[in-house]
Amino acid sequence: MRGTDRTRSVAGQLARLGFDDLTRVRSLLEDPALDPLRDEAGELAPGLLAALGETADPDLALLGLVRLLEALAGTHAPDDADLDAFVAELASDGAGRARVLAVLGASSALVDHLVRHPDHWTCAARAEPQPGQRVRAELVGAVTDRGKHTPYDALRIAYRCGLLRIAALDLTAPDPLTAMPATGEALAELAEAALEAALAIAREEHGPGHEVCRLAVIGMGKTGGGELNYVSDVDVIFVAEPADGADEGEALRVGTHLATGLMRACSTPTQEGSLWPVDAALRPEGKNGPLVRTVASHRAYYERWAKTWEFQALLKAWVSAGDLDLGRRYKAEISPMVWEAAGRENFVGDVQAMRRRVEQHVPAAEASRQLKLGPGGLRDVEFSVQLLQLVHGRTDPSLRSTTTLEALGALARGGYVGRDDAAALDRDYRHLRCLEHRIQLYRLRRTHLMPESAADLRRLGRAMGHRREPATAVVADRAAISREVRRIHERLFYRPLLAAAARLTPDEVGLSPEAARARLSALGFRDPAGAMRHIEALTAGVSRRAAIQRTLLPVMLGWFADEADPDAGLLSFRRVSDELGTTHWYLKMLRDEGRAAEQLAHVLASSRLAADLLIGSPESVRVLGEPDGLTPRSREAVTARMRAAVARRDSPDDAMPAVRAIRRHELLRIVFADLTGRLDVVDVGAALSDLAAATIEVTLAVATAAVAERDGPVDADLLVVGMGSLGGGELGYSSDADVMYVLDPHPGADEAVVTTRATAVVKEMARLLSAAGPEPALTLDADLRPEGKNGPLVRSIESYRSYYERWALTWEFQALLRAAPIAGPEALAAQFRRLIEPLRWPEHGLDAKQVRDIRTLKARMEAERLPRGADPSTHVKLGRGGLTDVEWTLQLAQLCHAHDHPELRVTGTLRGLRALETCGLVPPADAESLRESWLLANRLRNAGMLWRGRPVDSIPSDLRDADGVARIIGLEPGSGAQLSEVWRRVARRARHAMDANFYQ
Amino acid sequence: MNRQEEFVLRTIEERDIRFVRLWFTDVLGTLKSVAVAPAELEGAFAEGIGFDGSAIEGLMRVYEADMLAKPDPTTFQILPWRGESPGTARMFCDLLMPDGTPSVADPRHVLRRALGRAADLGFTFYTHPEIEFFLLEQQRGPRGRPVPVDDAGYFDHVPHGTGHDFRRAAITMLESMGISVEFSHHEGAPGQNEIDLRYADALSTADNIMTFRTVIKEVALTQGIYATFMPKPFSEHPGSGMHTHLSLFEGDSNAFYEPGAPYQLSKTGRQFIAGLLRHGAEIAAVTNQWVNSYKRLWGGGEAPAHLTWGHNNRSALVRVPMHKPSKGQSTRIEVRSLDSACNPYLAYAVLLGAGLKGIEEGYDLPPESEDDVWSLTDAERRAMGIKPLPASLGRALEVMEESELVAELLGEHVFDFFLRNKRQEWRDYRHEISRFELDRYLTRL
Repeated sequence: MRGTDRTRSVAGQLARLGFDDLTRVRSLLEDPALDPLRDEAGELAPGLLAALGETADPDLALLGLVRLLEALAGTHAPDDADLDAFVAELASDGAGRARVLAVLGASSALVDHLVRHPDHWTCAARAEPQPGQRVRAELVGAVTDRGKHTPYDALRIAYRCGLLRIAALDLTAPDPLTAMPATGEALAELAEAALEAALAIAREEHGPGHEVCRLAVIGMGKTGGGELNYVSDVDVIFVAEPADGADEGEALRVGTHLATGLMRACSTPTQEGSLWPVDAALRPEGKNGPLVRTVASHRAYYERWAKTWEFQALLKAWVSAGDLDLGRRYKAEISPMVWEAAGRENFVGDVQAMRRRVEQHVPAAEASRQLKLGPGGLRDVEFSVQLLQLVHGRTDPSLRSTTTLEALGALARGGYVGRDDAAALDRDYRHLRCLEHRIQLYRLRRTHLMPESAADLRRLGRAMGHRREPATAVVADRAAISREVRRIHERLFYRPLLAAAARLTPDEVGLSPEAARARLSALGFRDPAGAMRHIEALTAGVSRRAAIQRTLLPVMLGWFADEADPDAGLLSFRRVSDELGTTHWYLKMLRDEGRAAEQLAHVLASSRLAADLLIGSPESVRVLGEPDGLTPRSREAVTARMRAAVARRDSPDDAMPAVRAIRRHELLRIVFADLTGRLDVVDVGAALSDLAAATIEVTLAVATAAVAERDGPVDADLLVVGMGSLGGGELGYSSDADVMYVLDPHPGADEAVVTTRATAVVKEMARLLSAAGPEPALTLDADLRPEGKNGPLVRSIESYRSYYERWALTWEFQALLRAAPIAGPEALAAQFRRLIEPLRWPEHGLDAKQVRDIRTLKARMEAERLPRGADPSTHVKLGRGGLTDVEWTLQLAQLCHAHDHPELRVTGTLRGLRALETCGLVPPADAESLRESWLLANRLRNAGMLWRGRPVDSIPSDLRDADGVARIIGLEPGSGAQLSEVWRRVARRARHAMDANFYQ
Repeated sequence: MNRQEEFVLRTIEERDIRFVRLWFTDVLGTLKSVAVAPAELEGAFAEGIGFDGSAIEGLMRVYEADMLAKPDPTTFQILPWRGESPGTARMFCDLLMPDGTPSVADPRHVLRRALGRAADLGFTFYTHPEIEFFLLEQQRGPRGRPVPVDDAGYFDHVPHGTGHDFRRAAITMLESMGISVEFSHHEGAPGQNEIDLRYADALSTADNIMTFRTVIKEVALTQGIYATFMPKPFSEHPGSGMHTHLSLFEGDSNAFYEPGAPYQLSKTGRQFIAGLLRHGAEIAAVTNQWVNSYKRLWGGGEAPAHLTWGHNNRSALVRVPMHKPSKGQSTRIEVRSLDSACNPYLAYAVLLGAGLKGIEEGYDLPPESEDDVWSLTDAERRAMGIKPLPASLGRALEVMEESELVAELLGEHVFDFFLRNKRQEWRDYRHEISRFELDRYLTRL
């Protein structure tokens, strides 16, 4: 019993100390290897267990300790001097013990190294910060005076000793975040020392004659930046020059040989492992370029051909090893060019492409665990800081540091970035880097992923100083930081622009107007001066409005910059804000309603139509803040609202603006929903058709009342029949509403009078809907009626009947295929449907002549209808394989077969095509081609209207327009030039299907 | 690449080059040239030279802005026939849109895209053309017929060394332009010559063919004769083909080679051939793009008019030549339908595309045909499942129009333009009253 109690209490003690796998720990504690650390009573040295508990992973540290002791005992050094010294160190509570245990508890890879080289425990125990010079001398010394080891092994062993030193200091630092920059710098210096030593090996390998070449190694990337990771590729560039009197060709040959030797000395695996790959791919011409070049050759390359990203890489260039004088000459010649990069022609486009690339290359499965890539990752911070250095370092030499954190500090001191933002970002960056360091340290693997297993997370959490629930805490920390870093563009790029515009705190250094403009144009604004004016106007003053805009705008500027037309987005936003600035809900909505501001920014910078609509009725922006604001309203709901608006007003001329304002409001809702990806083209068609029908229905009532008041009662029922895409329920943003009107005089009415008044009603309707005013017009087009433009506007059922029986041409029956009554009494609608049924779905289909007529008419239209100058291969409506081709193919089949196949009796093109396929009248592949073209054509027309605010029926011939349209239909930014190929491919297939099914 | 640009600029300085011709090729395979002064070249390398594409066949504007011609420095050559000093040089260009994306109308881009697709599958594509052409007197003979330079049969003709001089001059000039050649006088017809270009990647070969045609015509002019690459100038003699040996490499190893397989031909090789045969009719309008091309194809002899393959079968569309068993790297196949007047960029793009399709879809190779296809009867050919190539340009266009593969390979723009242009050519041809009709009908009917 006593034994059990004791067991439990020991277990409790161990658990409290932080040990995890208690059974295993207990058996380890009894390991004889620990004997030297026990006193006569068999108790471990005082405080040792607690000291183990201080480490990131006490289990790991204990196991490491056992293994190290075994190894020390096995070395048979004279009198076990090593073992004794080690035991003495471990028995006493001091910094030495803490350092050794910290390493053992954080890195299984370093434990492995220690087991192989037990005497290296002193590297950790006696670790002190060392100047780079001394590290360099030590490593070079180790490979020259190397005893029994091969040069490669000697280099690796000495390097790991250095690594032990750095890790020991890093892991025992009171605050790892404070220590982070020093650790990164020490690692970079160690890498540089290794490069120097490797160069010494390469020289030795080359043997006599290497003197003809002066070789400098320029550190790039994190090495050059003095902010290296524990495990990373080391990026370098080699510079060679002939020694005095030597031949250049010979020197370059030797230089190449030395450089290759150096790279091999670092990366070749031996029994002691390898250091890291040396990557020289940042050199001019990348992997295809010569490995070494002279200073002049480097210079010539960068003068002529370098890309923006190469200059960005050169920001980090640092003379790392070899001939330091030569390296300094290289720096002096090349660096000035880096600072001119922002003035190069393609700078803006390059930067945007680079930014997209930074954000893209993350495998989706890893995105949530990535510390380095993706939005809110380390790369994002580094990239953003570098970009600002390039933009502003041109005029301000104080920004030209190679180190991320130093540069960030300099940006803050110069006023290019807010002080608080810089401080927060500095802290976040250190934190992410620390996580990365500790993750890498465990196995000395190059990884930037948060671990997944509980044990790994626990170790990581403890290494970051968490003692309670370390696994949960470290994940939560990281998530919070990433969330903050994700706002980096706002903080670094945009917020300072506001400070520049407002000049709020005169005592703090701010962005100068020139610097602000340089930055705006780097971010993609084409008119930076204009943009600055808008920012000023939006944020000037001390009003609540200005205060809220100041917090909003930095984020919104970023969203504008993501779209095709940032300038237009900002301008529209200013105009909307000028209108609504004082309304309380507007600012509140933008500030509080989650995504409202983001959606507004994206919509305004990608759509002229949205901007135009919104400028007229800014209050409609409200829909963005409403919970279901972006769901199109049903026809009934819209009708009811319009009716209510009419009821509140006395005269038609008062009522109609209200009806049209409601229409615009609903139109905007559809536009917003469309642009934010909530609706597909079919939904948009249905929503627009419902909206048009509701508007027409209400307007019909208003117009009838108006005529009745003016001329006397309209003693008849009036029916509005939707034709074309309205009848099909497939209206686009730029479509007119095709209609016909049916009149049914009440019994006993005077037909002539009724007809006159009904005609007046119809004309009044058209006037009311298209009268000039702030609201967008809805154009009613009645040209499809019998006798076209020359026929009477309204006819009775009987009149339609006699016309269709006697005079009508086949195309008029074809037009009836899409007829659908949309407003007026249902009884009359049913009558009209009965009338046209045998006409549009004739019992025996069409006779040969009728078919020929339709085909001939179509063929003639192809030759004649296309507007002057339009290209049939890019006109999405009338061109080859366009809308007309698809619709006529369907309609001919409907005329011929709808009587036998009731599924074909639909007014919508898409449903008709589906029916055509299921009835087996068109092969599935052809039906698919037709459908694809119809969908794409409608998407393109809608996108064109959204982008330009004007109808677009062809693929835009201006590249910017094509890009704007392409983005709206979901292509990558910059694919404007592809748009015509995309359309032509789809249209060609549709044309094939049309040829096979319409003309044959 | 950029070292190349450096080299070009240096050479221009050193060799006193006063003009640089920027060459590109229109959709029909005609060479176009814009001359620029060396001072403009640096800008041309960086951004390209703007020009109005609408004036050039197949380059009609897709977008409003001008196109850009961007010289490819790896193609820099001094033009030997323009004199030593001050000299003239040329470079081939890629055509770009104003935003820097490749122009869809550029045949060179069409080939680059096809090569890119091959590279995605891990292949590089090598070609080795044997180009035939006729050397003719500048004066035409009776009834406007062309007169070969070395037809000893012509009574008045004093035999002179035209052929020899021509060959020496042409070889010198070609080699000075870095195109090494093997020359052979073709016995097939009077005045006919054949020149083989060395194995190279398809893009270089296509550039070389364009250069070659120009050089041959230039040299002929200096000799007072002229050269024609017309596929079939004489009905009684064989036409001018451009048999091309094709091979795919995967890294350093020949993907067509498999020791021990029949003809050492790997599965990849067999599938590639199967692709060429299955899609041969669809791509015919590109590989044989003129009305006259079909007179060569259907002129009998060694011209391949049927979609067959064979080992050393000179009537087959695809021939698998003999080679020493030890030379695995030289396994290749020979496509015999191409004629010397094709657009080499487009032709190689569609051949490669058809072959890759065979590999991607794993086509089975039909049995080899050992007979001379011409000697078979129609019924025999039907029984053996041997299909013909289109009999005319008109027919070839009809087949091509249905081809998703060709549309994809050429891109929609080039596909569309090509069809329209060639349909017009076919209409113009049908409009013409031929000598055949006059001879046969005029007096008799």
